[in-house]
Amino acid sequence: MLWRAHHLINRKTTFDFLGKRRVALIASTVINILSIVGVFTFGLNFGIDFEGGIAIQVRAKQGDIHLENLRATTGGLGVGEVALQEFGDKKSALIRVQRQDGSNECVAHADHVMKKRAGGGWAVMPGAADTGDVTFTSPSTLDSTGWRDAVSTVGLTLQDRQLPRANTNTATIDMTHEQRAEWCQQVAIKVVEDAIGGEYELRGTESVGPKIGEELMHSGIIAVLATLGAICVYVWVRFEWQFGVAALIALLHDVISTIGLFVILHLDFSLTALAAVLTIAGYSINDTVVIFDRVRENMRRYRKMSLIDLLNLSINETLARTLMTSGTVFVAVLALVLFGGPVLYSFSVAMLWGVIVGAYSSVWVASACLVYMKVRPEQLVGKAEDEKAKA
Amino acid sequence: MLNLPRWQTIAIIVITALAGLLALPNLLPNSIDNHLPAWYQASRINLGLDLRGGAYFLLEADLRGVMNERLTNLSDSVRGEMRKQQVAFKSVDVEAGRAVVLVLRDEAQRAKAIEGIRGLDPSLTIAGTGDTVRVGYADVDMVRKRKEVIDQSIEILRRRVDETGTIEPTIVRQGDDRILLQVPGIKDTTELKRKINQTAKLTFHLVDESVAATGQNVPAALPPTTFLVPTREGMQSLRAADPKKFDEIQSANPRLTPEQICRRYQPQCLPVFKRVVVGGEDLDDAKSTFEGQQNGGRPIISFSFNGAGGRAFCAATRANIGKRLAIQLDSEIISAPVVQSAICGGSGIITGQFTTQQTQEQALLLRSGALPATLTIIEERTVGADLGADAIHSGTVAALVGTAFVILFMLISYGPVFGGFASLAMFVNMLLVFAGMSVLGASLTLPGIAGLVLTVGMSVDSNVLIYERVREERANGRSPFSALATGYERALTAVIDSNLTALIAGVLLFGFGAGPIRGFATSLTLGLLTHLFTATIFTRMTLSIWVRWRRPTELPI
Repeated sequence: MLWRAHHLINRKTTFDFLGKRRVALIASTVINILSIVGVFTFGLNFGIDFEGGIAIQVRAKQGDIHLENLRATTGGLGVGEVALQEFGDKKSALIRVQRQDGSNECVAHADHVMKKRAGGGWAVMPGAADTGDVTFTSPSTLDSTGWRDAVSTVGLTLQDRQLPRANTNTATIDMTHEQRAEWCQQVAIKVVEDAIGGEYELRGTESVGPKIGEELMHSGIIAVLATLGAICVYVWVRFEWQFGVAALIALLHDVISTIGLFVILHLDFSLTALAAVLTIAGYSINDTVVIFDRVRENMRRYRKMSLIDLLNLSINETLARTLMTSGTVFVAVLALVLFGGPVLYSFSVAMLWGVIVGAYSSVWVASACLVYMKVRPEQLVGKAEDEKAKA
Repeated sequence: MLNLPRWQTIAIIVITALAGLLALPNLLPNSIDNHLPAWYQASRINLGLDLRGGAYFLLEADLRGVMNERLTNLSDSVRGEMRKQQVAFKSVDVEAGRAVVLVLRDEAQRAKAIEGIRGLDPSLTIAGTGDTVRVGYADVDMVRKRKEVIDQSIEILRRRVDETGTIEPTIVRQGDDRILLQVPGIKDTTELKRKINQTAKLTFHLVDESVAATGQNVPAALPPTTFLVPTREGMQSLRAADPKKFDEIQSANPRLTPEQICRRYQPQCLPVFKRVVVGGEDLDDAKSTFEGQQNGGRPIISFSFNGAGGRAFCAATRANIGKRLAIQLDSEIISAPVVQSAICGGSGIITGQFTTQQTQEQALLLRSGALPATLTIIEERTVGADLGADAIHSGTVAALVGTAFVILFMLISYGPVFGGFASLAMFVNMLLVFAGMSVLGASLTLPGIAGLVLTVGMSVDSNVLIYERVREERANGRSPFSALATGYERALTAVIDSNLTALIAGVLLFGFGAGPIRGFATSLTLGLLTHLFTATIFTRMTLSIWVRWRRPTELPI
């Protein structure tokens, strides 16, 4: 019984999809407005890729992790806001520390780290107030190698010209405020390391400085806009401008509602999440193009049919394909959600949503838009005949 | 018609076989894989840092600092030149990041001042109005210098991080002023950062010729002002003769002083005065060039000092013509050329029996005394090896389960024959992706695995498009054979359309390609490209072969 082809979707469906376009329009609008409002009121839970800051994956050396204890320890370190979450299993957690701003407090942290790691006699002080300079004082006279080794325990490099003058024990590393802020991420990692290193094993650390975070955010927005624009132009060139606009609206719908999903589920919006958004844009257009393709074909065939009937017919004819193609990707992504592990979780959940919303939007958003834009069959037919004449 | 010309069928089979061959080492267990020849093993795909564990750094070079330092040195030279030319001036100041501003006491001396400055370096841009002369580096020169600083930093990083040559770090320039450093397999970045920071120390010392004249390599007693330093050749022949001793010296803790090395291991050594004539911090530049400025001449090394270094060097060489000046790098003397004449222009040359390669190396050694620019870590990611192993595990499970789901789905929907064809096309597509990644030398990351899983899902899409269309054509009353041919043909535009739109997203994603995203974009884009092949021509071939073989009267679809 199983060993033959099954028609999972009835061959000839005659649903009146576009008859319900008003309901769909209202639902889509509400979802999208809620998504946008959600982003502005609750904000996206940006990962460190975009916001800068530190993420440390830890695992308890013995037994399960006690988030409460861990929270108490890390909360009192003075490195700003610390967020904790279970990560993968009960023994592992992800510690998120906010982006460090390079204040004098960070230099005080560096002083503690230095005293602990290089020896009690060391002192680290901020330099002149209008710069980001940091001054190191050693307990004894050292040669240049000794100085470099010592300074590198807090993650700084010492240039030859910054070495102390003969017979002194003080070296100043000149930095701008921005450079100091970048360095302070390193300091904060060490502060956390020192505080929890006894009970927890640090499995992986990530730190993203303020500068790179802002850059990624910027280029990420550009990448999304460029993708939407390029796909819209592609559809426009292949079909008609109305189809291009309809595709663009459907894509915006998918992208915005996916971002809304991130707000509602409080998922981490990281680089991989952005990759999911872009992939959803590239994928959800597939079904739309398949339907548009059929619409064009039918417009040539049934010149007298009303637009709504024609769209309904095209959607019904392609329904099996739409659902089956979405189905294959859905099951593949489902495997990622179930087994892909914590790192890919946000990405996979977003993709899963994207597959569903992409199929929905090709029917009720992209096609419905064609109704409102009053595509006239003559335009397409005329164009097709022109092409034929040329050939 | 589904039939393909014979040469196309052969080409498809050859391509598939080749891809299979390239992808094979990735699929074999290690035990078999290790018996393969090395060149074949090399087609294994590299695992990304997130899978094998390691550290990833994005470093930013402080180029503004370098430029300002350069201008400060220039202002020293200008000051010196003005004194030499006896041009009275009120001030010489550095305008940060742009120029040196010289204010003269007497406007009338402007031409003379400009003349003198031009003599320092003809490539400088000099503009004079009233009593003010502005001196700067030409834009071309600045661009060259910036590139040089980054290239130099990369060379130095490579030397420091990969002393043994076995770590295989990836060090590449990124953008204008950044360096990406990836070091697989390490967990403790403190040690790595220490290595990045450690610099070779460069100093110039005069050779104590009175001791050297005794002819003893390691004299028992030395004047208090003199010490022994092993020569580079000496250390290299020691390494060749007795590698164990050499390692012992390298790993000694605390580090041995040069003199201790000389006394204990007796390599070739030179007695030099302890007083430092000039230190590496005063060295501006060193490059490999040729005597007489043409390729026919002997390879030599030319170097230049900043103002203070130049003056000290001038005095020392003037007083010691005919004696040797030793160039010491860390605890070795890399060469000890004889001073031919007083060197007062702030620059000099080192001659000797060098090959071009040697002069290039030595110039690099001289330059690499210190990193040319302060490097700030602006992004750091470390992944422990066990975390990487976890990632490999979950990635593999997800990929296998995803593939199984998709195959099951296809078999249920389209039956064993057509579902089987779809699975076969997907399998070939995977082979092509793996082969493509091997050829491109791309690394496989965890997001990359996600990209593969998506490719698995998407690559059966085109079979779905074709099959559904075939069902439709069949329902419209076409014969099985005609339904297959028409269905295939009519679905093709939709197949290509949907692939191209997804490719647009993939390519833009690749262009955006920061860090972890690159792996995802690579495998997805590659998957879509190879899929264009399997979805169109490969599927057509399998269908046509099947039709000719079975001559079906009914389609089991």
